Amino acid sequence: MDDSTRRLLQRLIRRIPAPMLKPTLEKWGRLTVAQRQSMDYTQRKWPLTEKLLSICEENEWTTKHITELEMICVIDNPNQGMWRAFQLMDPEDDAHSLELTQFKEQFKSHLSELVRHVSVKIKKHTDEAVWIRIAWGDGFSRPNHLKPTYVVHHLQTSFVFVTSLTSKQKPLLSQALVLSTRHHAIKDANLSGRNLTAIRDLLMRQYEQVFPTKYSSPLEEKNQTPSNPHIEREQAGPFANRLQMACEAFGGGTLPQLQSAVYKLETKFRDQTNRNMTEREEPFRCVVKFESTNLLESLRHSASSGIASTPVTPLLSSIPLKGRNYFVITDNGPGPASQMHPSQK
Amino acid sequence: MGKRDVQICFRFPSGTLEMEPPPNGVVRTPLNSVVVQRRSKSKSYRLSYRSCLGAASRLGFTPALTARRLNTSRRAPRSRNISEKVNSEQLALLLKTEWRLSYVTPLFKFRHTQLKSYSRQLSAFIAAEKQQGLAVDVEGSQSGFRVSFSVVQGMTETDDDAETVLIQIHTNPLFARQDEPQRSVWSGLLTCINGNTDYLHSLPKDFICLPLFGCSGSEVLTTLVKSWFQQAFDCSFGPLEISHTSLQWLVALWTNCHSESGIQQLKMIWTLPVVPPLQITYTVNPQDAWELWSSVRRDPQEENEGGEAGTSIDIKEVMRFVQGLKGHFYRHFRLDLSSGSLKQVSTALGSAKYNGRIKISNSRYMITTLTLLTECALLKMPI
Repeated sequence: MDDSTRRLLQRLIRRIPAPMLKPTLEKWGRLTVAQRQSMDYTQRKWPLTEKLLSICEENEWTTKHITELEMICVIDNPNQGMWRAFQLMDPEDDAHSLELTQFKEQFKSHLSELVRHVSVKIKKHTDEAVWIRIAWGDGFSRPNHLKPTYVVHHLQTSFVFVTSLTSKQKPLLSQALVLSTRHHAIKDANLSGRNLTAIRDLLMRQYEQVFPTKYSSPLEEKNQTPSNPHIEREQAGPFANRLQMACEAFGGGTLPQLQSAVYKLETKFRDQTNRNMTEREEPFRCVVKFESTNLLESLRHSASSGIASTPVTPLLSSIPLKGRNYFVITDNGPGPASQMHPSQK
Repeated sequence: MGKRDVQICFRFPSGTLEMEPPPNGVVRTPLNSVVVQRRSKSKSYRLSYRSCLGAASRLGFTPALTARRLNTSRRAPRSRNISEKVNSEQLALLLKTEWRLSYVTPLFKFRHTQLKSYSRQLSAFIAAEKQQGLAVDVEGSQSGFRVSFSVVQGMTETDDDAETVLIQIHTNPLFARQDEPQRSVWSGLLTCINGNTDYLHSLPKDFICLPLFGCSGSEVLTTLVKSWFQQAFDCSFGPLEISHTSLQWLVALWTNCHSESGIQQLKMIWTLPVVPPLQITYTVNPQDAWELWSSVRRDPQEENEGGEAGTSIDIKEVMRFVQGLKGHFYRHFRLDLSSGSLKQVSTALGSAKYNGRIKISNSRYMITTLTLLTECALLKMPI
């Protein structure tokens, strides 16, 4: 068995969390019944790895088989690494009726034309997502399986999610995707995060939406903190308003887990009390980065608790609205990368 | 520690209250006012302040000296070519380390001439503690440490400042070859820069005041060094946080230096008390920050006085500057940063964190930063 195949298997077993090892191997289904019974999952990982390596020799598995296992493991546990979202633009007429087999053939052939040695594996998941694993090589070397790129695409939507892509590989992948999905261009959706399910839910609006109502309905907050009944009575109305506006802006219930949002501000400094700065022609350049374990939760809580004034400013509410977390804000109308006007106050 | 008479004298300024601010900017609280509102809510600040009020009222003296507050104005930092005066090796150590800060009460009978003896005593102490089994896993070296105390000359500003002391602990392997470099595993710093002269004069004869203590290295060694100091010089240590007022001072002081040596960026980190906690990193272009700062300083009243405006910075200017930055943020995000707390300030000149960590990256403005930190440490003195 190849040395690189051994290394790949060793790394893979190391990455899989111990409790997930048994179900993943069973899902893979390449072990014979006898081999499956001989695996003792109560041992530590190192002897298990050795056992698997010997089974690998027995069954004569190649890199192809190991990459199958890797794909299963990544599909089950996609929230590692940094995912970036892209959007396909300008579909042709037949883009919406694209079929899976057609897409698979086209993608593989286009990519192989662009890159000499490349190994592509495509798999359709149960929830309509197409997972693509790409191991890149070049004219002189074989595909490097230790640093694969993963691509997730939902057919008939225009969104593509990519992880582990270098800047050299980006134009090649973009070209192959655009041609095989029958669109004309692909652009950066300015959304990135660790949690694939979160950014997918955000872009496809698959979380609880709250719509403005004419009759203010009492939205219950989950954890009621005990406090003075007089204060509660007085604050009940404003609090309900704030909560409603916060949920309209960001959503209700559980929100997708985004980790950060970056705003590059290039607007002028406007302050009535400071004439010198207001008369200045150049913009006041700064970069603001919001970070949290669950950014949308934090922002919603800051709006409902009054730390952020309601109605929520369009800069913050456009994170879920437009599904982006990187913005460039300038004073003029929509620039090439920005689609926002700063709130003038 | 044996019997010893301690006499603490308070100096009372004779005469009436002065209404115009004295030249060095320290505002004396009137004799019959008691409470200075502190905005920082951390427990250690409250404890030390309460204990100082309690002690003073028990003694029956009005706390003229102990009711101190942070200076409301200070000299604008000038670029100081300190590398001419200070040994370059020591300076390199000072600049590359991120120091964890504590305050120290005045040291009894600490002599700068006895440093060699202190080095030996501290090595012996560490070795003895290891044998007792109290010190667990000190860097794995079997054979002890070599401690060196050294004086950093050239850093004092006034005649009352004691000379800065640098402490280093190196590993001392038993079978070291001649050319094997000794690894430094722990460094410590004791310093007092521009200390409050009234306070320093009020100390009894045998006490040396080096209120600012910085350390970098393993916690085990830090605890050992602190306990040795406590035994040898009857002092006590306590954690030193850099309050948000001091952090705002650093925002202004460091931005002020941009015209002489570029700060590359002004980065502030705020945290908001929401669930889950939100961290906001606000990075401003240095040139724009500097222009905002100078627009805030250009007060027509000061310009009429002439000359003085450039050399001293008042707390009001600092507040206006930070308010300007917060206002710009509010106009975009409708989020008031005052509801959160400022946790970290970084520029090319250094970085300061709320939990008492400081890193000074540029020697030219080191004295200004250390002056501010010495003041913070002196404010935490329990008596």
